[in-house]
Amino acid sequence: MLTVENLSISFATDEGRITPVQGVSFSVEAGKTLGLVGESGSGKSISTKALMRLLPGNASLGDDTKITYWAKDGKEIEIHKIKPKSRALRDLRGGEIGMIFQEPMASFSPVYTIGNQMMEAIRLHRKCGKREAREIAVEMLNKVGISSPAERIDQYPHEMSGGMRQRAMIALALSAGPALLIADEPTTALDVTIQAQVLDLMRDLQRDLGMAMIFITHDLGVIAQIADEVAVMYLGTIVERGATRDVIRNPKHPYTQGLLKAIPSLDTLHDRLSPVPGDIPSPTERPTGCPFHTRCPDFINGICDVNEPPEVGGDAGRSVRCWLHKEPESGRSAA
Amino acid sequence: MSDATANALSKQEEKERQQRLKYYSASQWTLIWWRFRRHKAAMVAGVILGVMALLGIFAEFVAPYGPTTRDTQYIDGAPQMPKFCDQNGCSARPFIHGVSTKRDPVTLRAISVPDPEKRVYVEFFVQGERTKVLGFIPTNIHLFGLSDPDAKLHLWGTDDLGRDVFSRTMYATRTSLSIGVIGVLISFVLALAIGGVAGYAGGMTDNVIQRVTEVVRVVPIIPLYMGLAAAMPKEWSTTQVYFAMTLILGLFGWPTLARRIRSQLLSIRGEDYVVAARLAGARPGRIIGQHMLPSFTSFIIVDLVISFPYMILSETALSFVGLGLRPPTVSWGVLLQQAQSVRVIEQTPWLFIPALFVVVAVLAFTVIGDGLRDAADPYSEAK
Amino acid sequence: MLRFTLERLVGMVITMALVSVMVFIIMEIPPGDYADRYAFRKFSGTGVSVTEADVQAIREDLGLDKPMVLRYFDWIGNIVLRGDFGQAFAFETSVVKVIGDKVWLTLGILLTTLLLTYAISVPVGIYAAVKRGSSLDYGLTVFSYLGLALPNFLLALILLYFANKWFGADIGGLFSPQYQDAPWSLGKLWDLIKHLWLPAVVLAWSAVAYQIQTMRATMSDELNRLSVTAARARGVPEGKLLLKYPARLAINPIVSTIGFDVNRIFSELPIVAAVLGLTELGELLLKAYLDLDMYVAGAILLLLTFIIVFMNFVSDLLLAWLDPRIKLGA
Repeated sequence: MLTVENLSISFATDEGRITPVQGVSFSVEAGKTLGLVGESGSGKSISTKALMRLLPGNASLGDDTKITYWAKDGKEIEIHKIKPKSRALRDLRGGEIGMIFQEPMASFSPVYTIGNQMMEAIRLHRKCGKREAREIAVEMLNKVGISSPAERIDQYPHEMSGGMRQRAMIALALSAGPALLIADEPTTALDVTIQAQVLDLMRDLQRDLGMAMIFITHDLGVIAQIADEVAVMYLGTIVERGATRDVIRNPKHPYTQGLLKAIPSLDTLHDRLSPVPGDIPSPTERPTGCPFHTRCPDFINGICDVNEPPEVGGDAGRSVRCWLHKEPESGRSAA
Repeated sequence: MSDATANALSKQEEKERQQRLKYYSASQWTLIWWRFRRHKAAMVAGVILGVMALLGIFAEFVAPYGPTTRDTQYIDGAPQMPKFCDQNGCSARPFIHGVSTKRDPVTLRAISVPDPEKRVYVEFFVQGERTKVLGFIPTNIHLFGLSDPDAKLHLWGTDDLGRDVFSRTMYATRTSLSIGVIGVLISFVLALAIGGVAGYAGGMTDNVIQRVTEVVRVVPIIPLYMGLAAAMPKEWSTTQVYFAMTLILGLFGWPTLARRIRSQLLSIRGEDYVVAARLAGARPGRIIGQHMLPSFTSFIIVDLVISFPYMILSETALSFVGLGLRPPTVSWGVLLQQAQSVRVIEQTPWLFIPALFVVVAVLAFTVIGDGLRDAADPYSEAK
Repeated sequence: MLRFTLERLVGMVITMALVSVMVFIIMEIPPGDYADRYAFRKFSGTGVSVTEADVQAIREDLGLDKPMVLRYFDWIGNIVLRGDFGQAFAFETSVVKVIGDKVWLTLGILLTTLLLTYAISVPVGIYAAVKRGSSLDYGLTVFSYLGLALPNFLLALILLYFANKWFGADIGGLFSPQYQDAPWSLGKLWDLIKHLWLPAVVLAWSAVAYQIQTMRATMSDELNRLSVTAARARGVPEGKLLLKYPARLAINPIVSTIGFDVNRIFSELPIVAAVLGLTELGELLLKAYLDLDMYVAGAILLLLTFIIVFMNFVSDLLLAWLDPRIKLGA
C-alpha cells in the first residue's frame, strides 16, 4: 500500500547542505508491520516525517525520490508531488496515515481536553456532527483500554498518568480511521510493564482494524515482538533488511550483530552487555566508503573506507549492504 | 602522499589540537569574551559606548568651549559645517566662513551675517579657554578650534543664549552616563543585600521582603521618582541635586535584580557544595560571596547592563519635565528641556542632537546586554 | 475559583495598604507642611499678610499637629471611609473635585493604549515567529530596538510635528477648544475619540516594541513543540492550527504581564501628558509635584497604583481561566 523509492532528504543549514537520509527504499503491505531500527541520528524519524510531508521548511526531497501511496478508496497518491497546504495533503494526514509519538505529554496540547483534540480530528476526516464525533471518541478511548471513557474524555492531558496518556494518544491517532499508522518510538518513554501492555494493545488494534504499521524504535527486542519485516538504518541508509525472524536469527551486517548483542537477555545476564563501540558520526562528517567503517569490528582497510558497498540481495526480501558479503572487485567496478 | 604534505598536515593538526586545548582550559570569563567578540553588533555597540564615555570623561578637552560660555554673535545659530570648497576655490584645510556684524535694515538690531569672503580655518589642538581636564589638569589646549581666536566654531549650532550645543552635549554626556553608572551601582548593592538576605534566609524573612519588593514594583516608577525629586529643596546646590538624583534612581532600581538573585540563591541553596560549606562552619556572608554568587555572576552582569537604559531614560525624562537635574548642570535631559515644543523642531532642530545621544546610548546598552546574554549562556555554543 | 479569587483579593488589599504607607511617606518628605505652603502661597500671591497664628490655626484645623502615625490613619481613614482625599491648596478645593472626571479620561487613555498594544503586537509577533529569519522579521527586530530606545516625549514631539505639518491642525490635548469645558455629550465623546489616538500611539509605542519581541519568542518556542507537529499530522489546516495550538499558549506571557504594561504606561503618562497637553491624571500629577500640592499628588499616585494592582488581579484571573494547568485554589 506504500512504496518508497530512493528517498533522500537534504537540509540547507548554515554550514552548508547536509543529507541525513540517502537513497532509502522500502515498502509496506496492507495489514503488515514494518520495523525501522537504528540509533538516534540514523534518519529513521525524518524518513517517516517525509511520508507525511512534515519536514521543516529548510528540508528538500531528492529529485529521484518517489513515494507512492494507495488510498483507502484505491486511488494512487504520489506523496512527493502533493502541494503543501493542499486539501489532498490534509486528507492524507490523519485520515490516511496516522502518527503517534514518543512523548505523549508533549504531543497533546495542554490547554484542551483529550476529547476536544479527538473530536477535532474526527470531524476533520469523517463527515459527522459534534455528538456523533463524541460518540466515536468515547468508543475509541474504550477500545484502547481506558476505563470510564465518558468521563476521561473531558479531562486534560496533565490529569492522566503516562501510560494512559499514551493510550489516549493512540486513540487520537486512530480516531480519524487511518489505514497506515506510523509509530515513532511509542513505548520508549514508558516503564517496562506498561511498555508490554502498549505493545499488546497496538498488536490487537492492528489486527482488529486491519491497519498497516511502520514501527520506529532503537530496540531490536521490541521489533521482535511486533514487526513482520525489519529494516536496520545507519546514517541515513538501510544497511540490512528482511523478515524479522531471519534478521534476528541470522544477522549479517556487523551493525545488526552489534545491536543484537546490546539487548539484555536471560542468557547474557551475568556478562557485561556489549554496546556498539563509538558514537554515530554527525551527518556533516559523513565517513567515506561504508558509513559504518569507523565503528566496524570487521573493518577491511583499503576497501570499507574507500568504496560504498552496494545492496546485496538474498531471497524473500533479504538484503545487506556490506563488503563482507560481497566481493570487493565487482563492487569497485560498480562504483 | 609526500612527506612535505604529510608534515604540513600534521602541523595543521597540531595547531588545531593546541586550539582545542586552549578552548578546554579557558576560564568561564575567557569563553564569554570569545563568544562576545563574535557578536558583531555588540562589539560595534561597545566601541560606540567607549567613544561616548571618552568624550564625556575628557569633555573639557574635546569641547571647544565651556558649557555656559555664550556667543552673543551667534544666537540660535545653525550648525556650521567645515568645508573644503567655496565659490573662491578649494583648500586643503577645512574652513568655515567668518561672520560680520551688520544692522538689520528694518529693526536696526545688530545681526550676524556670514561673510562668504572671510575664511577661518579649522585647526586641531588649538589654544582656547582655560579649563581643568578631569577637574584637576589645567590646560588651555582643546581638541579643535579655529585659527582666528575671536571667531567661534559651532559644529552643532547654538541655543537661544548662544551657547555651543556641541560643547554642552559633551558635558551632558559625562553627567548622564555617570548618573547611570552610580545609579546602577547603588541599585546593585541594594539588590545584592536585599535579594541575598531573602534568598539565603528563605522562610518568613523572604516572605516579608517579597511583599516589600512587590510594593516597590507595583508603583509606577517615574511618578515615584518624581515624588522624591519634587521633594528636593529648591535651595540645594547643583552638586547636592546631582547626588540626590543618583540616590533616587538607585533607590528603586533594585527589585528586578533582587528577584533574580533571590530565586537563583533559593535554587542552589540545597546544592551539595553549599550544604558542605555550611556544615564546614563557613559564615553566611562567605557562603554567599564565595560559593553561591560566582555561579551566576554572568547573569547579574547582564542584568546590570540591561538596567542602564532605564536609568538613562529616567534621568532624561525627569530632567526634561524640570523635576531632575537643574541648570546650570547640563545633562541630556536638561539640554532637551529647551526642546519641548513643536516650534523648536521647526526653527532650531539642532537642539535635538542630545536626543540622538540618548537613543544611541540606550540602543548600545541594549545591544551589548543582548550580546552578553548570548555570550554568558553556555548552551549558545550548541547552535 | 472562588477561593483563588478571594486569596488574590486579600493579597491585593495587603499590597494596597503597604503602598498607601509608601505614598504617605513620599507626601511627607518635602520640607514644611500643608499649612506652611498654604500660608506662603496666600502671602506671595496676594500680599495678604499671614501671621504665625493663622498658620497654626490651619494646622490645628486640619489636624496637622498630630504625630505622623496618627496623621497617616486620619488620611487613609478619610479616603477609605468617606472617599475624601484631603485638600488641594492650589485650587483651594477638595482633591476629589480637582481630580473629578480625570480618572475616567485616564482610564480611557489606558484602555485605548492597551487595546492598541495588543491589537498590534499579538498578530505581528505571531507573523514574525512564523516567518522567522525573513527580512520582515529583521525589520521588526530593528523596530523593536528603536522602539525601546526612543524616549516617548521625543516621539510625542515628532508625531505632533508631523501631524501639524500634514493635517495643519493642532491635535494636541484631549479635546478641541469648543468642547474643552462643555458638558458631556455625544459630540464631546466623539471629539475625545478623535484626540485619543495620538497619546495612545505614543504610549503604546514601547509596549508594542517589547510585546512583539515577547510574542515572537514564545511563539517560536511553541511552534517547535511536538503538539504542533502532532496536530499537523492529524491534518488540521495550517491557519486554524497556528491559532488553536501555538498562539493560544504563546499569549499567556502577554496576559501575565498586563499589569506590567499598565505600570509602564502610567510611568510614561505624566511626561507624555506634559508634551501633548493632555488634561488627565498624569498631567495633574506633574503639576501637583511642581507645586508641592502633596494631597493631590498622593491621591493620584494611590489611584494609579490601585489601577495597576487591580489590573494585576484581572491578569491573574484571566491567566487562571486561560490555562487549565494552573490549579485553581492552590
